[in-house]
Amino acid sequence: MKHILLLAGVVICLALVPLAIAKAYILNLVILICLYTVMSQSWNILGGFTGQISLGHSTFFGISALVFRYLWVLGAPPYLALCGGSISSLLLASVIGFPTFKLKGHYFAIGTLALSMIAIITVQNLLPGVSFAPPQFLSEYNLASIYYMALTVAVVVIGLVFALTRSKLGLAFVSIREEEDAAEAIGINIFKYKVIAMSLSTLIAGLGGGLFSFYVASYYYYVPFDLGWSFDPVLISFIGGAGTVMGPVIGSVCFVILKELFAISLGQMNVLIFGIVFIFIVLFLPKGIIGIARLLQTKKSSVASPKET
Amino acid sequence: MLHFAQIFSYGILNGALYGLVALGLSLVFGVMNYLNVAHGGLIMLASYVTFLIFSSLHIDPFLSILLVTPAFFIIGLALFKALFQSLMKFNETEKIKNSLLISFGLLLVFSNLAILLWTADERAVTTTYTGKVVQMFGVRLPYIGLGGVALAIIVIIALHLFLTRTYFGKAIRAVSLDHEAATLMGINVNKVCLISFSIGFALAGIPGVVTSLQAFNPAISFELTNKALIVLILAGFGSIKGVLLGGILLGAIEAASVYLVGTPYREVFGLLLFVVILMFRPQGLAGKRL
Repeated sequence: MKHILLLAGVVICLALVPLAIAKAYILNLVILICLYTVMSQSWNILGGFTGQISLGHSTFFGISALVFRYLWVLGAPPYLALCGGSISSLLLASVIGFPTFKLKGHYFAIGTLALSMIAIITVQNLLPGVSFAPPQFLSEYNLASIYYMALTVAVVVIGLVFALTRSKLGLAFVSIREEEDAAEAIGINIFKYKVIAMSLSTLIAGLGGGLFSFYVASYYYYVPFDLGWSFDPVLISFIGGAGTVMGPVIGSVCFVILKELFAISLGQMNVLIFGIVFIFIVLFLPKGIIGIARLLQTKKSSVASPKET
Repeated sequence: MLHFAQIFSYGILNGALYGLVALGLSLVFGVMNYLNVAHGGLIMLASYVTFLIFSSLHIDPFLSILLVTPAFFIIGLALFKALFQSLMKFNETEKIKNSLLISFGLLLVFSNLAILLWTADERAVTTTYTGKVVQMFGVRLPYIGLGGVALAIIVIIALHLFLTRTYFGKAIRAVSLDHEAATLMGINVNKVCLISFSIGFALAGIPGVVTSLQAFNPAISFELTNKALIVLILAGFGSIKGVLLGGILLGAIEAASVYLVGTPYREVFGLLLFVVILMFRPQGLAGKRL
């Protein structure tokens, strides 16, 4: 309960930021953090909770970005276009994503990677141009509207994941991650729950894609299909703590801040650092930063308790 | 017809290179069930090392294999000790999953390191024989491609002889069949894994030399890993013998797609085939063990 109040406080503070600080820099930073949080949570549902490691989420991110932009340019209000984009991700997932569940374990990872490569090459060839935001929006450009959409989407998604951890559905996901055969033996319909996890995950990836398309005024059509949109969420989730609610949020904050610190340097120093940290997390700390925090907490309490008694 | 023959022979030359690219990955996967997706990154790094050796010491890329492979062998030893040895205790699926994740991290580290060190620009070693071709029945075959084919054949025969004719090679094969039984026969499984992992790294140095003669940049690491995985699934996971054939098959498929649809979708066909085979025969086209 204390945590929820704290979180609500943070959200309200963030919601007031555009009124108090007019600095675009801060708003941009929060928008980026929200965007990465949404993408990481999307990956987290499938990879962190259900244990199906996807290396191809950029496909769903990208398709939604394109559909969002298409609907938006046609005149749909942004929030409606966001839903449209999100649903398009789900549709694509039901065509190409669900069949990949025939692939178990590492085959799923490399299979989804192959799919995302097919997607980016196809988009590069079919749509070589640049996508522009509607001119009317650009003329009255308003960063705060993007900021509020990013914040709303991020809060909704975090809330959804939190609800998931408190539900039977979440338990079913975790049981699939821990031991697929055992889960099946106790009567969990593996395929059904994998499909649900994939649907939730791609819907959220679609929200991320729409957000990207709303935020970035003009981009080459292939940019949202970039493999980075598949890889970064994996790093972020693992480093923050895969299979936890706040892990991806903490990971995203670190990732975006590092990205900003090294923004002037060539290449992506933040990905380099995150890559190295990621390797050590996989080797030694399966629950990431959240895991470290919990470890410290239990140590403190175990040190403190003998004194009390 | 000549056009087709030209495209097709290019496909075969490329295919032999793909076989060479997949060789190290296949060996490591076969022996200890490590899926080292950083393999393409290693090949990319080897290309840069070859490039640096050529530009500073003026040693021909094909000769620099003698420097590059031992260096990568040592890197393999170090990385196995530091990162991969602790995975030995896991069961098969956990091993594959964790090695996949760790090497995925390595792949990102390698490619971003290369961008920081050498920028994302495209480079190539330019030798006296760059761009020279042999004409056969009107088909033009570049020297470099032929060199790659010769190299692939030599390396695969050498590896085959090593695995079948030497004591240590036989130990490697025994370990790949069954770790416990190999231990009972008095084989030091840890040592065998360490050495074969490092041989896998050394084998990344060889295709790196060929790619250094063609255009390369840090981004080829993903492309090469990808090709290696496709070859692996065509050849059967862990099969050494099938690798060259798998590579040539992939080259031929790419050539056919270039002929039918054009160059832009060259990669897509290989990838589609990959996904389809993964779904219906996950052990690979020719593979038996799973």
